[in-house]
Amino acid sequence: MLRNRAIVILAVAVALVAAACSSDDGTIEGPTIKVGSANFSESALVAEIYAQALETEGYSVDRKLNIGSREIYKPALESGELDLIPEYIGTMLTNLGGVATSDSTSTHAALQAAWEPMGISVLDFAPAQDKNGIVVTKATANEFGLITTSDLAALNGTLVFGGPPECPSREFCLIGLTDLYGLDFTEFKPLDVGGPITVAALESGEIHVALLFTSSGVILAKDFVLLDDDLGLQPAENLAPAVRTEILDAYGDRFEDVLRAVSVALTTEELIALNKAVEVDGEDPDKVAATWLEGL
Amino acid sequence: MIEFLGEVVAWFLDPAHWTGANGIPNRVWEHVQITVAATSVAALLAILPAIVLGHRKQGGTLVVGAVNLFRAVPSFGIVVLALPITIGLGLGIGFWPTFLALLFLAIPPMFINSYTGVAGVDPDLIEAARGVGMTDAQCLLGVEVPAASPIIIAAVRVAAVQVVATATLGAIVGWGGLGRYIIDGFAIQDDVMVFAGALLVAGLALVTEGLMSAVERWLVPKGLQTAGNEVARIAV
Repeated sequence: MLRNRAIVILAVAVALVAAACSSDDGTIEGPTIKVGSANFSESALVAEIYAQALETEGYSVDRKLNIGSREIYKPALESGELDLIPEYIGTMLTNLGGVATSDSTSTHAALQAAWEPMGISVLDFAPAQDKNGIVVTKATANEFGLITTSDLAALNGTLVFGGPPECPSREFCLIGLTDLYGLDFTEFKPLDVGGPITVAALESGEIHVALLFTSSGVILAKDFVLLDDDLGLQPAENLAPAVRTEILDAYGDRFEDVLRAVSVALTTEELIALNKAVEVDGEDPDKVAATWLEGL
Repeated sequence: MIEFLGEVVAWFLDPAHWTGANGIPNRVWEHVQITVAATSVAALLAILPAIVLGHRKQGGTLVVGAVNLFRAVPSFGIVVLALPITIGLGLGIGFWPTFLALLFLAIPPMFINSYTGVAGVDPDLIEAARGVGMTDAQCLLGVEVPAASPIIIAAVRVAAVQVVATATLGAIVGWGGLGRYIIDGFAIQDDVMVFAGALLVAGLALVTEGLMSAVERWLVPKGLQTAGNEVARIAV
């Protein structure tokens, strides 16, 4: 009696382990593509879109979404723990020590050249751009007549700024705001990466100025005001898939074509609508990605 | 390793880390504030009802079981789940979700220990108390609670230390405290900051433990002091 029970338990355990260990089996022979993303909703959504596009074609895909900031996922990509991640060309080029401009084509080319020695290929970029956006509530904008980021300088020493914890160490975040715009905030509050905590803090007045993303669906939905980047701090920030060169070599042109088909269709308007569906309407990112891909 | 520890020491010696909203004094103060607030409110909510129920020997397994359910919910989960609720109530982010999670953490040990402590007082003592003419209330306050005090205060002590350690979660929902060094350091992969933050939390936990030991020595009746240490760990 006890022996039978033990055998059943063992069989169930083995079945569970087997189920957990197996990954999606694609019909195309080759290494499983490990798709990763940063820890904010847009990155995870775009990564999901690329992942589903590849799966539909028959590639074997493994997802590792919401990993963390660039300091965490970049080493993972370069060491082979990840194979593909959606990146933003301006910030990534700056991260590698290059100089990013507002020209997408030259910035993209410079990024490709800078990252290639580390075994990473940056494929064709999408028209969609997502830059760091300096945002205030409509009430604040009306009260102080704020239209451009430079307008904030008149309020130096009175405002609280909130954004991702890594903002103080980012050139296109607090460093640039201080150096280029000459802004001086009373306090910087580390919140989340353009997510619900930052939005809640801005709405409640806990912060006066927030860092959100220009393609965020929340800005329009909450009637926030995106201040104009009049001094051109933010460079071109087109989305582009960063892929390990060895995966590209393993799969060839067809793999690149699949990803290009997705990138070409991703405009800033499309991206904002996608973000709105997930961030504002609360829809499931997997379904949002699937529906969008079906419409291509 | 030695080099890393050297960097940590340098971090502590850097005067920039001792000033401003993100300086050590302010973060320690925030951390102490929430610990005192959460532990005190939890003590009020937990100990008084538990003592009464224990005295009447009512509820028993049912109540203890129900309170134990609080423990099953991970603090991380509560902090995140509480966020939309506190936002909806206009209490905002940061302090209140963290405070709520810490209440859930601190209430169970204090409640359970108070209940079992009072319910488990030697019946001979109670009989003797009634024998000398004590009323119900006099017996409770004069005999049962002091007899159970080692167990009750031990629970407060353990809860306080757990609260200090867990308050670091608040940094995830935009609060300050010592968790900031851990979360912010992690975001930029600054191992030195993370380690320094962890050291500060551990240090504060030790100080709390020391303070609460002193409180225990002060509040527990002299005659129960040595016995107290053995029986003091019942439900925790």
